[in-house]
Amino acid sequence: MKSKIFKIIAVVIIVTLGYFAYMWFMPHRNIQNTKAFATIDATKLVNEFLSDKEKANNLYLDSEGESKVLVVNGIVANISKDQLGQKVILLKKASEKMGVSCTFTLDSNSQVDNLEVGNQIKIKGVIRSGAEYDEDLDLTENVIIEKCAVVN
Amino acid sequence: MKNLFLTLFLAVISITAFSQNDQSTTSGHIKIFSSTPAEDIEANNYKVISIIKPATGDVVFSVPMQSFEFEKALMQKHYNSKKFLDTKQFPKSKFKGTITNLSDIDFTKDGTYEAEVNGSLTIHGVSKDVSEKLALTVKNGNVTGVTEFDIVLADYGVIFKSGKPSTNISKTIKITANLNYTEKTN
Repeated sequence: MKSKIFKIIAVVIIVTLGYFAYMWFMPHRNIQNTKAFATIDATKLVNEFLSDKEKANNLYLDSEGESKVLVVNGIVANISKDQLGQKVILLKKASEKMGVSCTFTLDSNSQVDNLEVGNQIKIKGVIRSGAEYDEDLDLTENVIIEKCAVVN
Repeated sequence: MKNLFLTLFLAVISITAFSQNDQSTTSGHIKIFSSTPAEDIEANNYKVISIIKPATGDVVFSVPMQSFEFEKALMQKHYNSKKFLDTKQFPKSKFKGTITNLSDIDFTKDGTYEAEVNGSLTIHGVSKDVSEKLALTVKNGNVTGVTEFDIVLADYGVIFKSGKPSTNISKTIKITANLNYTEKTN
């Protein structure tokens, strides 16, 4: 009888420790291994936010920050680097004011090397925030996606 | 004749230098830091949008809140959740203000200037008037900005009364921003 109680207590302790270890060491979500929620044109994605910000935020953003993984289709308008050294590709048509800003990672940076302005490509990443335009300040804000990689 | 050309040349140069175009970035860096006896927590965001308009002194910051990366995945989830910053409801934090000592700053001349910026900071849907210093460095026509200040979470309606968060997260968060501006061309 006694040994049975000890066994139960031991199991409870191990499960509890395991749970806390899992919480502590919980890995970050792997964006590229996550199934994409949708494949969408850059223009359409921008317009969804401009026409109904609340609806688009509700559709794409997650309340714990695990927002939708998207494959965005568009034309390379600009290639730059952020202050961490991550490459950033802006998908936007020349006639448009705003586009989708796609930030690669230090690991996926090299995929950008063979790309040029004008290329039509598909990029997979996680959405962080939508597009906005502030008329008073002439401030344009692109849709932001991060942890990007080129989709073949 | 030679002098005339030289005068014209210098005139053109000075007009160009004097035009003081807007300075902007879409990849500024902001670090948030919380320190308690229990633990130090840090998160970094490299997607900060900012504009400075030398003509009017307008300064704008826009911060996509979900772009903050924490070391621990669970911490990042908590930070984003409804109980904390509720980043689904409030995906961006914004600052809109003006430089009050604009005449002290020459965006066309190399040097370091301390801009006094007054304006409204909106975090978690709550706006508050703030007044902070922004160190601006002009070097070879490039402008960089650095600022560091503290915010009190409760001022922006982020309150935790009990449990682990109340002991492990500081009531005051240190914010450090580093911005490499480039001249806006449109």
